Amino acid sequence: MLQPCFDRLSERLLAAGIAPRHVRRYVRELSDHFDDLVREESEGGASRELAQTRALSRLGHESDLAEAMLARPELRSLTSRFPWAVFGLGPIALLALSVVGGIFLEIWIINHTSFVWAWFHMQPSPATARVATKIYTAYNTLVVFGGPLLFAWLFTWIGTRQRMPRAWIIAGVAIVCVLGGFQNLIFYDTGCRGCGHLLMQSAFIPPFPHFAEGVARAAMNLAIAGGIWWLSARKKTSTAVTLHTART
Amino acid sequence: MNMANPSFMNGVPELLILRTLESGEMYGYELVQAIRARTNQAISLGEGVVYPALHALERDGMLKSRRKLVNGRTRVYYAVTRKGEKHLAGLVRHWQHITDAIGLAIGGTAHAAAML
Repeated sequence: MLQPCFDRLSERLLAAGIAPRHVRRYVRELSDHFDDLVREESEGGASRELAQTRALSRLGHESDLAEAMLARPELRSLTSRFPWAVFGLGPIALLALSVVGGIFLEIWIINHTSFVWAWFHMQPSPATARVATKIYTAYNTLVVFGGPLLFAWLFTWIGTRQRMPRAWIIAGVAIVCVLGGFQNLIFYDTGCRGCGHLLMQSAFIPPFPHFAEGVARAAMNLAIAGGIWWLSARKKTSTAVTLHTART
Repeated sequence: MNMANPSFMNGVPELLILRTLESGEMYGYELVQAIRARTNQAISLGEGVVYPALHALERDGMLKSRRKLVNGRTRVYYAVTRKGEKHLAGLVRHWQHITDAIGLAIGGTAHAAAML
């Protein structure tokens, strides 16, 4: 029995740079169209198999379906059109945004909590200040340590989804891991009532604070990202082998 | 006559799609059947080839789409936008001009003989 399988068409279009959303929709529309054609042919008296053969022929050959899509460069994704921007500038912009966004959020929280204290005509006790410092430190650690790894996953996902050459994905992940390792967000309590310091640093900018720590963190980020990549690639290979064995 | 020459067909799918959708929103299969009926099956294309044209027209703002649940299946319905209507008017003028010119070229000899 004939059933259209658009996996190969889908892979070809993605590899050629057509945006995944267009590919997904195209394949879904083709499948629906095929079902409609089979129904029409069956209603015309054709047997199930003949109806499917005719439907496939009416739908068009796979190469024609691919060419029709590839002839429309406007349907290509930004990732495939400007990989240097996505995997080269993207990591830098995202890291900068994450730190600046993190700081602004922190400032907003600090301002609003002081407003709440003032509203109730109260002053935070030293114990409260210590708890707040711990919360801010935990938040900063999450932004500084988690951010680069989250972005590394994001760039891997974007690149894999678009079937981008591995070199681009590795470049994006490496940039985000290395630069992310060198950024720092610190909050510390100065001890005086209502005071606290919020510090944004990059070990790449003179006087290169915590440079050695930055190198260690960059190496750690790379090791984690590389490890996850290796594990997922191993899992994918073993799944493919299992499927192949099951088929044969 | 069956016309499927790709270079000759440049711009024709867009014209046919916009013209057909002018009468109301349709999903892909419905649209292809309407085009076949309108052109008396003179223009033959792989039916699946219509979708890239629909996607491109939607991206350019000539069409808008919406998902609709019909008989338990989600269909993507396409409709012409105001921009699409304007573009269609331009395309129709352009093709009218071409067909007039070809008509003149074809009928030229007979027309000249009649003049004598």
